[in-house]
Amino acid sequence: MSVGFKDYYEILGVPRDASADDIRRAYRKLARQYHPDINNETGAEERFKEVGEAYEVLSDPEKRERYDRLGDPRSAGAEGPNPADFEDLFGRGGFGSDVRVEFGEGGFSDFFESLFGEGRGRDAGGPLRGRDREAVLDLSLEEALAGGRRRLSLDDGESFEVNIPAGVREGQRIRIGGKGAAGRGGGPPGDLYLLVHLRPHRRFRREGDDLQVDLRVTPWEAALGATVPVPTLSGTAQVKVPAGSSSGRRLRLRGRGLPTRNGERGNVYATVQIAVPKKMSDEERDLFEKLAAASDFDPREGGR
Amino acid sequence: MSEQAIELTVVARQAGVRVALARRYVAFGLFEACAGTSEAPLFEPICAARLAKAERLRRDLSLNYAGAVLVCELLDRIEELEAVSRR
Repeated sequence: MSVGFKDYYEILGVPRDASADDIRRAYRKLARQYHPDINNETGAEERFKEVGEAYEVLSDPEKRERYDRLGDPRSAGAEGPNPADFEDLFGRGGFGSDVRVEFGEGGFSDFFESLFGEGRGRDAGGPLRGRDREAVLDLSLEEALAGGRRRLSLDDGESFEVNIPAGVREGQRIRIGGKGAAGRGGGPPGDLYLLVHLRPHRRFRREGDDLQVDLRVTPWEAALGATVPVPTLSGTAQVKVPAGSSSGRRLRLRGRGLPTRNGERGNVYATVQIAVPKKMSDEERDLFEKLAAASDFDPREGGR
Repeated sequence: MSEQAIELTVVARQAGVRVALARRYVAFGLFEACAGTSEAPLFEPICAARLAKAERLRRDLSLNYAGAVLVCELLDRIEELEAVSRR
């Protein structure tokens, strides 16, 4: 077993001649800082385990003395003392159970194991359920609306399929039972909560449970009125553009938006955008010129 | 998506702790019954996770019961504020 030396003094940030009080104070401060129920940052849990392991050794006079006999790794070459010697030096087991810190969610390092074996007391408080975990679940609007099965991969490499209920909403939490952190001392695992995040859509803008979409229409559709197709998440719908619609007019398609809290659907709002052809045929140009000559419509009248 | 309310014995079992410990946390106000009667109160299933969290904090940080409950409440408030600031 290849085991890297761990400088427990450095981990706790105390000098090698630190008193028991200094060590306790340093541990408590770091434990509060990195406790995984308090600190969600990546690496906090590993750091918390490391700090707990260091305290486990340095708070016990007998263990501390054995550890100190290994010497300062900086004076024993880059790799520190030969880990293979740990068992020869100390054997296995034989330590008391004066342990106040438990690490059922991953345990102590190989370095600790090689020093102190499995004889340490780890069950000071009895079984306890593991921590709940939270992961962000990115979904497209279509996926959120339709639901379905989805394969997930967590940071720890675990991969499994989950069932996404149809109609999940932004910020909704989906509970996956038993997929949280492992329990302690035989306690049950925590749960995994998936926090739904809806990805931006290339066509729709989300506004609560409503969706906004641009509806491009021709000048004559806007002027004369027309029924035109408009995309929705569940297929194309037809919307009536009233005669005399200007750009910016919002047309509502009731019940075609995202699921609401009470199980209904929000609306789709299609905003009229009048599109003009870049290239016109001679006939088209002629007709527009006739319209310009015949019309007295002035959209800027009155300073608008 | 409300789940069915459960008895305190079930909350304790799911949290992996003794029922007496769960009662003690209820007395300290960690969580309250959501249904049932005063003789047979019922709790939301999420209480099991909350109970286990309080107990982990109590053990790991050498807190007393009131301190563990207070930390849980403060963490809830931080989470709410962070959720608001994300919106």
